[in-house]
Amino acid sequence: MHMANELLSVPVAGATLTIAGGALAFITRRARKIIDADKLALMGILGAFVFAAQMVNFRLPAMPGTSGHLVGSVLLSIVLGPTLGAIVISSVIIIQCLIFQDGGLLALGCNIINMGIIPCYAGYYIFKTIKAESWQNTRTYVAVIIACVVSLEIGAALVPIEAAMSGVLLVPMSTFLVTMLGVHAIAGTIEGIVTAAVLGYLLQVRPDIIGDSLHGKIRLSKPAVIASLSIFTVITAAGLSLLASGMPDGLEWSYAERPDQSDFETTIANESTVIPKVDAFQEKFSLMPDYTVRSSKLGQTAQLEYEPAAAWTSMAGLIGAFLTMGFIWLFAQIIRKRSNSKPNPDTIAA
Amino acid sequence: MHHAHIDKFAYQDSPVHRLDARVKFIVMVIFMAFVISLPPNSVVILSLYAIGPFAVLVSGRIPLRFVFKQIIIVSPFILVLALSCPFYDRTPVSVSFGPLSWQITAGWLRCCNILAKFTVTMMCIIALVSTTRFTNLLEGLGKLGIPKILTAQLGLLYRYIFVVIDKAQHMLLSRRARSSNYLGFRNELKTASAMIGSLFIRSIDTAENISIAMQGRGFNQKWRSLSQMHTGWADYLFIVLSAIYILALELFAKPVLT
Repeated sequence: MHMANELLSVPVAGATLTIAGGALAFITRRARKIIDADKLALMGILGAFVFAAQMVNFRLPAMPGTSGHLVGSVLLSIVLGPTLGAIVISSVIIIQCLIFQDGGLLALGCNIINMGIIPCYAGYYIFKTIKAESWQNTRTYVAVIIACVVSLEIGAALVPIEAAMSGVLLVPMSTFLVTMLGVHAIAGTIEGIVTAAVLGYLLQVRPDIIGDSLHGKIRLSKPAVIASLSIFTVITAAGLSLLASGMPDGLEWSYAERPDQSDFETTIANESTVIPKVDAFQEKFSLMPDYTVRSSKLGQTAQLEYEPAAAWTSMAGLIGAFLTMGFIWLFAQIIRKRSNSKPNPDTIAA
Repeated sequence: MHHAHIDKFAYQDSPVHRLDARVKFIVMVIFMAFVISLPPNSVVILSLYAIGPFAVLVSGRIPLRFVFKQIIIVSPFILVLALSCPFYDRTPVSVSFGPLSWQITAGWLRCCNILAKFTVTMMCIIALVSTTRFTNLLEGLGKLGIPKILTAQLGLLYRYIFVVIDKAQHMLLSRRARSSNYLGFRNELKTASAMIGSLFIRSIDTAENISIAMQGRGFNQKWRSLSQMHTGWADYLFIVLSAIYILALELFAKPVLT
């Protein structure tokens, strides 16, 4: 579910980075009031714990060869509270991006929103609203599972929405969305079951951790919970309405020209000269202009229009690029040999 | 236990390693933004964009095999999405390359574009991370305005990540040693959750010990580091060279090749 740079356009990447950065700045400012050295170490180690917990895999039934593992955002936000949970998970995502190169640097904003902030807050508040008073009650564990499924699904639904806003992918948004939701429904259920099992284990072994006594938890009043939930609903609804109007490609396809069938008659004709002008204007200034092959010259020309010059330029470009890289590599090798043949002062000292 | 010290090359020494972390970070981000903003059907020009990160990698003495292995490890998700493109755009395009010319669909073009962009930006981020020590990078980011809590937390996380992973690997090894076959989902789940739970408790206990040790040594919310960030002539040279490179690509290569 880590998004890569390539799925995003620069405006979307910039906007999501700004949102994620702002949210993190807000969260850390709130957290600063309650944080001291204690919690700093605690948060750091728990971040490391998330990495380690993701290594503990287990075989799944009905699907031989597959194994599941924990993501941990809901677990952390239930134990630590959503604010500290979000900080921990966001820093895990930053480390995954920087050290393990999982997820792009420009897509970091998206990833922090999708997998960090939203699952932590959504999961926590859903859990809070559904759970029963005591941990002995089955409803509490059902609440954990529902919180995991819903929070993961919301995060997963954001991925195709962000990709569609960027306009990079060709996959229709509905297909992508359905796939993501389907996969994450399974993943979320597994996550929920494991989270509930881990919480049950912790309750047996260290009830003090579960029982709200772990310091540094930020409590929220009931109105705050309801307000956040309603904001959340609005955001989700906005995302869903975007889906409804998102990609009218089926419609466009049916009334406009079809490049694969040259004898296909367009069913709509409009004589107005305003429309082409508006189109041209939009093309000039839109952030994600429609994908056109015909106007491009990278050696790929439109059907039957053969442009030999562009083809040769592209070939020269490719060969030149690889020759340059080969040259750089050789050059570096030669320099390295020369510096290696000199006596190394360190080895003499040793 | 053995585990991948993924950023082990950051501890080498080379002219690129000695550059200011802030300079490298900003240049890389700007360069990546330029790469991402290339039109979605350009393929060949991306090989020119690959030269820059390649030069940094080579002059930083990062083995190329390591770089490509790393790219392949993280590629599955993007690979699936890129390979789905040919199914959705079957507009025939005739591609000509030098003396050759043949027909493919526009979807394949976009697939190649996404994969090429992925390779270039991955080279970029690997070049940044494996030529910069993480502590220096964090300090640079802190100087650039990232909240101190976040950088301190990232520093601690980085410091303990391999310690906790080590514990997890010990547990995994002992599970493997004690279980020979599949025990059914219920038992598997029980084992896994007990492992995760005890890992969690151990992590919290470790954190308590660490914070006691930190307070015992007079930690007062301030993160101190030995390295002094300064931008020297080499950094300015790097900025100028990258600016020339990016501008040359934008002004001369892009009009011809896209």
